[in-house]
Formats: sequence, C-alpha cells, structure tokens
Amino acid sequence: MKKIIFFIILLITIKMSSQNKQVLYDFADLPQTLLLNPAIEPSYKLHVGLPFLSGVSSNIGSSNFKLTDIFANDGRNINDKISSVINSISSRDFVAINTQIEIINAGFRLRDNYYINFGFYQEIDAIGYFPRDLLVFFNEGNATNLNRPFSASHIRYKFDYLGVLHAGISKKINDKLSVGGRLKIYSSSINLQSNNNTGTFTTVNGQNSVYRHVFSNVNVNLLTSGLIENNEYVDDAKSIVKNTFFGSNANVGLGFDFGLNYKISDQLQFSASLLDIGFITYKNNVKNTRIRGDHIFEGVEFEYDANSNIDYWGQIDEAFKDQLPNTEDEVAYTSFRPVKLNAALKYSFGEQRRLLCYDDVYKDYYTDALGVQLFNVFRPLSPQLALTAFYEKAISKKTRSKITYTIDDFSYANIGFGFSTQVSKLNFYALVDNILEFSNLSSANSISFQLGFNLIFN
Amino acid sequence: MKFSKLIFLFVLCFSLTSCYEKLDFDQLDNYVYEPIFTSSLTSFTLVPGQFFNSQGVQENSIVDETRFEIFEANIVKDNVVQLDFYAEIKNEFDRDVTINIDFLDDNDREIYTFSTINVRSGELNFTYLEEIEISQNPDIVNVTKVKIEASLENTGTQMNPNSTEEFEFKSSVTAYIKTKL
Repeated sequence: MKKIIFFIILLITIKMSSQNKQVLYDFADLPQTLLLNPAIEPSYKLHVGLPFLSGVSSNIGSSNFKLTDIFANDGRNINDKISSVINSISSRDFVAINTQIEIINAGFRLRDNYYINFGFYQEIDAIGYFPRDLLVFFNEGNATNLNRPFSASHIRYKFDYLGVLHAGISKKINDKLSVGGRLKIYSSSINLQSNNNTGTFTTVNGQNSVYRHVFSNVNVNLLTSGLIENNEYVDDAKSIVKNTFFGSNANVGLGFDFGLNYKISDQLQFSASLLDIGFITYKNNVKNTRIRGDHIFEGVEFEYDANSNIDYWGQIDEAFKDQLPNTEDEVAYTSFRPVKLNAALKYSFGEQRRLLCYDDVYKDYYTDALGVQLFNVFRPLSPQLALTAFYEKAISKKTRSKITYTIDDFSYANIGFGFSTQVSKLNFYALVDNILEFSNLSSANSISFQLGFNLIFN
Repeated sequence: MKFSKLIFLFVLCFSLTSCYEKLDFDQLDNYVYEPIFTSSLTSFTLVPGQFFNSQGVQENSIVDETRFEIFEANIVKDNVVQLDFYAEIKNEFDRDVTINIDFLDDNDREIYTFSTINVRSGELNFTYLEEIEISQNPDIVNVTKVKIEASLENTGTQMNPNSTEEFEFKSSVTAYIKTKL
C-alpha cells in the first residue's frame, strides 16, 4: 500500500502529457490491441472486424485551454475572456486531434506460434501549437508592444489525412517472450505542415525615424500537399477520400511497428512497442510557400531633390520583395510520421482461471491485474508523454473491464474506463477516458473514445 | 470480487450520465477586435544647401511627396476609427521653419490638410500630434499620398549654404482598428 501511495504522489508531482489509447493498450485480448503492440499474443484462432465498425476512435485535446474558458455563459466580457486565454497560453500549448476508422481488420492463427493480422484504416492526425506571438500581434497590434519581438517560430502545425494498409505478425518465441512487427503502407491525401520556422518582427524606436520595423532572420515554410491543384483548392470530397485509398494523387509512404511482450514471471509481464516508424513522401499537388530574409523598414526618407522624381514607395516595395521574398514552389518533401512509444508493466493476481483459446489449447489467466503504462508520441516541439496506472478486472470469462488513471499534458487526473464483452462470436468493446469531466464535457481539456465490434472465433 | 464488480458498475453508470455545460458561441458576435498598429511614415534631414537652386539662390520653400498606401489593406481601410499623426522635429537653423502636410488621393486632391506646424529656430525637441477621427473625416481612407512642404522664415538674409546645421523631421502614423467579427 505504501508503494501505491508513493507511486500516486509521484504521478501527481510529475507533469506529463499525452494523446493516447491507454485504456485499449493490452486490454481484453481485443484485436485492436495488436495495432498498439504487434507482439500481443491473441488467445483466439481467427478474428474479423465488422467493416467500418470494428474500430472507431477519436480523441481531441487542448492543453491549458477549455471551451468554457471562452464560451461559458458566465456574463464576463468576451474580449476579456479571449485576452485572458491568450495571456495564459504559451507557445508550447496545443490542440491535437486524432481519429481512426477501421475499414477492414482481420487476423488468423498460423500454426500455434504465429498470429497474422491485417487491415486498412483511415486516420486524421493533427496538432497545432498556439502561435502565441501571432495571436498577440493580431489581437493587440504592435503599438502597445514596442521592443517586443514577435516570433515566427511559434507557427507550428501538422495535419494529415491518410489511409493505412497494414499487415502484422506476432510470434511466440517461447513461453516467456513473444515479438511482433507490422508493415504499413501509407496513402496520404492531404498534408499541411509548418515547423522549424525562425524569425522575428520587432518595432523599436528609431534613430533616423520614429520607429524601425525589423524583420530578422525570417525563414518560414508552409508546406501543403493535396490541398491545391492547378492553383485552385481541391474541393472534390470524392477525390480527397479516394486518395486515402491509393488514388491517382495519393502520396505514398512506408512505416513499421515493432513490439515485444515478455513474461518476467507467471504474474509479471512487460510489454513495449514502437509504432509508425515511417515516412511519407509528398509529391502530388504540392504547393509550398516560403518567406525568407531580413528587412528593416523605417518609413519614407524624403530627399527633397528637385532634380529627381524618386518613387520612394516603389523603392520600399521593391526592397521588401527583394530582401524578404515570398516564394511558391512545388518541391516534393518528406515527412516522418509521429512515432509513438508504448511500454507497460502488468502484475496479474486474484483468482486463477483457465480459458479455452482454440482447438484444445488452454490459457491460464488471473482475474485481476494492476500495472503502469508509459506513452510517448514524438511531436514537432517536444514529446507528448503520458503515464497511466491501471486496474483490469475479468468480470466473467467473456467480460473484461479496465480502469485507468492518466497524467498527461491535458490533465493530472484523467480517469478512463473500458469494457469488452462477447456474446457468442460477437465481441463489443467501448472505452472512454476523462470520465471525471463527463459531468461537464464542455470544460474538459481532452476527450477520447474507442469502440467497435469484432467476430472472434476460437 | 463482488465489490470490484460494484465499482465497475458504478463507473459504467457514471460514464452514462455525462452532460455538458451549454456553451454560448453567439458571444463571438460581441467580440470587438481593436488592435493598434503603428508605423514610421516619413523622415528627412535638411541642411541649408538644399534650399539653394542651381543658380545659388535660396528658395524659401521645398516640397516632396510619396505614395503611402496604408489603406490598401482592407482591414485598415474598412475598420480604422482613428489615425494619429505624430512628428518629432529638431530645428538647428537660424530661423523658424514651417511644415505643411497634406494627405492626397490618387488624383492629387487634398483629402486632409494638417494645421501648419511652426518650429522655432533652435527648437531641438519639438513634437507634434494630430488625432484624426475617421468618423469626422471619412474620406481619409482614400489617401494614397503624403506631401510635405518645408518653408523657411523670410528673415531678409540668406542662410549660409555651407552650414552644417540640420533640420530633422521624423513622423509616424498610428491606426486604431475597431471591428466586430
């Protein structure tokens, strides 16, 4: 008990962050857990996910900002609320959305030691950091912010809409160790991204003019693929969706998942996985905008030369374009997928039972399990970490439940709950997190759910 | 075991009783966007020699002008409510200098004429501020040019064209934007 209390205190004192599927990870032998760790050894012979219904998951999170901060009907002035939010957020705060819909998911056992599984899912993955300086500049202007550098480095976002064709295998090496891998072929329809920008805009008091407006070391790159075709926005929904199914303008990439599962003892198990180690090369319908250079604007300097008719404004315009050019190109680019790391330590206890897996193969299991999970997704600015403590309970042979407590960027007290049950061959699972916020979803920093139906054959 | 089942049932019920606080997105209709942008406008430094023509005769008045297209940006043109013109002037000349500023449109029509600015000889820290209410001067959004005339006080004697005394002029404009979304 002391150890548990210590652990909880440790969790509370360390601020961590996440955007993950902590309830689903290694839960109830669900086929979808194979997508989080390809080494998980299923106990059944065959599974088929119901098309379009086997795995629907979504999570949306916003660090340090809630809808109620602005839109609560609390009688406060909206300008005050927006200013207060802008002042409270930092450029490290972000909004992240991830949604996956499984179109196909199936698997089968190949001999006793192998489980092959494959499928196709669509994914929207987006993260946008708050461009704080940009928000302040447009909200307040530069007049009240003299000497303050507005940084372009705060512009950081990434949006992907893609399809993923995948095939994986888990192999039981021996009674203790199983390993797994998955090959993924990505078919991206739309990508927007901007990262590693530099540069500042500062208004300072001038020597020869009232103000000097200084653009310094500007290097901003706004990359897009699949958004603009022949200088017009692509608005044909059918072709956008088609490109996630390897359509003619799809951008293709390759990725791998790896996992391992090791039984340290009969009751103690360690598992870990690395997902989406891969890249996509964007070369179709690419349109990139780049702004680079240094420039100082001090207004118009009159020369009072009666012999010349100087086009002062034209000169300034030309100097601006020369020194801070805004260019467009269609150069292909490669983007790495956000790599995710999962790791878990699980201690099983309680009543020991025996489960018929398939044919005449049985598997012993305990009714209860406690453990911890670590999740990390490598995002543009910094890793998004999450630490989860969980308790899993087998209510019956066919019904399992799991409670999680997660600390992440969005919350120090994210409690999740999931259950999975099977009636005949039909399995249904539903998982949610942040249930403490369910009394008022509008004030939640993050919400996520996963649910689906599978047919499972022993 | 029964206890743990109860816990899970409780959590299940809890999760099924979720609700949300009604959000009022219409509040955005009341949001007033009111940034203040400022920019240098014109500057110049004059020495006495610039007032002399090629015949070596002092001309008491010289003029220059430039396009200045701050109202090209629709956000300024459509939503500016006040424009402040500010100037810092240093006059080392041995006589007063008068500055006349006009805002012109594309056809060189005077849209707004400032009060005459008279800077006394030896005045080294002169400042000038003129606040223009757009509601009182709606045509000002058609301004595309600035003309500034510098005139010397007629003292009856010419300045020394080789003198290094300077007349410095620096100006800026500040636009107050106010609009709803």
